Amino acid sequence: MSGDRGGLLWHVGSVLVAAAIFAAWALATRLHLVQPIFLPSPSAAFANLWRGLARGDLLMLTIATTERMIYGWVLASLGGILLGGLIGLSAKARQWLAPTLELLRPLPASTLLPVGIALFGLQPGMLLAVIAFGAIWPVLLPTVHGFGDIDPRLREVAHHLGVSRLSFAVKFALPAALPDVIAGMRLSLTACLIITVVGEMITAQEGLGTTIMLAARSFRSTDLYAGIILLGLVGFLNNALLGLVERILLPWRVR
Amino acid sequence: MFSERIDRLVSRRGWLLPLLLMAAAEIALRISGIRSDGLARPTEIIQALLGLAADGAILQRTWETLAPILLGATIGGAIGLFLGTWLGLSPAAARLAGLSVELFRPIPPVAIIPLTLLIYGFGVRMEAAIIAFTCFWPMLLLTRDAVASIEPRLIEMARALGLPRRKQIVKIVLPAAAARIFTAVRVTLGIALIVAVTTEIAANPFGLGYAMISAEMSLRPDVMYAFLLWLAALGWALNAGLLMLEERLFGAKSGRSMR
Amino acid sequence: MSHVGTVRLSCAGKDRVVAAIEFDRVSLDLAGKRVVDGISFAVLPGEFTCVVGPSGCGKTTLLRLVTGLLAPTTGTVQRFGVPVGRPSREVAIVFQDYGRALLPWRTAAGNVGLALEATGMPRRQRRERVAALLAKVGLADHAGKYPAQLSGGMQQRVQIARCLAQEPRILLMDEPFGALDALTRQALQDEVARLVEESGTTVLFVTHDLDEAIYLGDRVVALKADPGRLADIIEVKLARPRDQLATREDPEFLRLRHVLFRHVQRTH
Repeated sequence: MSGDRGGLLWHVGSVLVAAAIFAAWALATRLHLVQPIFLPSPSAAFANLWRGLARGDLLMLTIATTERMIYGWVLASLGGILLGGLIGLSAKARQWLAPTLELLRPLPASTLLPVGIALFGLQPGMLLAVIAFGAIWPVLLPTVHGFGDIDPRLREVAHHLGVSRLSFAVKFALPAALPDVIAGMRLSLTACLIITVVGEMITAQEGLGTTIMLAARSFRSTDLYAGIILLGLVGFLNNALLGLVERILLPWRVR
Repeated sequence: MFSERIDRLVSRRGWLLPLLLMAAAEIALRISGIRSDGLARPTEIIQALLGLAADGAILQRTWETLAPILLGATIGGAIGLFLGTWLGLSPAAARLAGLSVELFRPIPPVAIIPLTLLIYGFGVRMEAAIIAFTCFWPMLLLTRDAVASIEPRLIEMARALGLPRRKQIVKIVLPAAAARIFTAVRVTLGIALIVAVTTEIAANPFGLGYAMISAEMSLRPDVMYAFLLWLAALGWALNAGLLMLEERLFGAKSGRSMR
Repeated sequence: MSHVGTVRLSCAGKDRVVAAIEFDRVSLDLAGKRVVDGISFAVLPGEFTCVVGPSGCGKTTLLRLVTGLLAPTTGTVQRFGVPVGRPSREVAIVFQDYGRALLPWRTAAGNVGLALEATGMPRRQRRERVAALLAKVGLADHAGKYPAQLSGGMQQRVQIARCLAQEPRILLMDEPFGALDALTRQALQDEVARLVEESGTTVLFVTHDLDEAIYLGDRVVALKADPGRLADIIEVKLARPRDQLATREDPEFLRLRHVLFRHVQRTH
């Protein structure tokens, strides 16, 4: 009872802290502590955001970016899980591929953009291909690890119960690897957003990335901030979506 | 004995694959005679790499990427470390800060690129600002976790010893959390490299990322892939070096979950 | 001190009945080291045999030889007269680290049902069997809980229930109560004794706890270490059902305790 009330108090407190930060922002602009061109007031930024959404153009741009990101993510996840599962379950495959995967791991996914442009030019499909290909690694590597690192005790149990190969993969390996796979999918979604935005910036394809770049170049800072807020929102929804997926698929995890 | 010999062979086998692939690519490109703006023979790539090393371009570009990392990661990381320690020690503060963190954390660093461009124009400061923003969050959260997971009895003991707050932190809290904080630093630096290169690809005409873009625009795929290879090696070496340092300082078990 | 049940047979009957488990001059080398050396003994159907010995005497290895996970370097291991080959559902094994042996993403019922899914039993029948088994181990109210929500003793019971679901002819137990507190251990000892009495399953029970071995077993096989060799086999002719207080105070229990203790001391 008092615990509940205590919890509510903390929530209210954190809302107050967040509100204080916005108030500080508003105050800073009111007192002209920073050039207004660098830091428009929060009300101006949000007003711009609201207008843009109401007009529909900001909404369209957000959808364009989000679509690209999601398609790329779905492709990357499917490929990553399938490939990662096959590699992870086969000890031999892991041995052969381990150094290659290790070397590719630290590569920024965005480096595929110049490669993609060099190979395919500025075709519309190129960006999606680069997103999918770049975002495969964050899923692939944890999946390989998840499937490869199954507790030997579980393997023994499966051995004694006499389960078939397929049964083992579906009933033992997949659930055991699922936490790692989902963690990988979370990283992959973040990577997708990044590659999408950067890709838009350098290929000037329609989307939030292009828009905020243009806004910065034209010194339209309220447009810029509106775009940043929207991208932050997309990022927030991404996390929320994956948190939901986690809760649904991993009900046994003790939080 | 025998099993060790097998182990060594096995690990060598893993290196065989990239070599085989490169050989296959070399042969395929030579035979088919394809010349494309996007492909380059492995021998050409190696040649380009050596050429870049010889005329100092690699070192120059690498420094252009590393300089903002050093600047940005230090600033953003230090602030994250400081705030993270505070949030780790004070569950109250952590809870109060919760919403604000959740609101501002999801902003993708790439979204800030145009803003820093607006404020600083091209150059080191712009890139360092982005890196600082990006490095702040993992350092904040990982340090908070590291400090929050310290054995509570240690903190009790620190208070019981009557040490002033600052001494408590310096003498007991930070050393206790040191291993995990070092892991946080390693992870954050890895992220810093990625963000630096991404910023260079997106906007800033300096560094290794821009070198790749520039090579692509000048239709020199061999140079582009050379820089790509160098980047992969650099990223791997950075992580491996820090891992080795981590193991030397804190023992082999630390950071195991975050390779 | 009565001799018990029609299922348990005296030594004289050995020639007429096929042993459930038979070790015949079994030796095993692992990584160039001789782990067990020349072990020979038999376990009759329905018998509860305990194996004790210091660490490194190969107790757990013996179990793996019975399941077929390991093959002897010399000698033969037979189950019901047939040399051990591939793993078979007629053998079930209960591990000490129950936390790692249960699937964390399945409920208690799901874990027990796993054994039945492999047999292709139809779903309704499976559900009934699982419910019955969980009731038998006293976990009927916890069927829908995940292992992480169960105590150590309960998790171990789930594992036991899963093994019983296989309806094994041989039940192997690898120090199953080692990770539990004393009270839970005693409760589970009695429960296992009861379950096994009902089903007549042959049990090979490995433990480092001498008291537990005498309390539970019809015979106790004592091993010595480095390499694992048979030291002695002791018959336990105590009345069943055994009682935690009465049996442990029985003079015969204490005598056996002495004998076994002296043995383990000598082999150390």
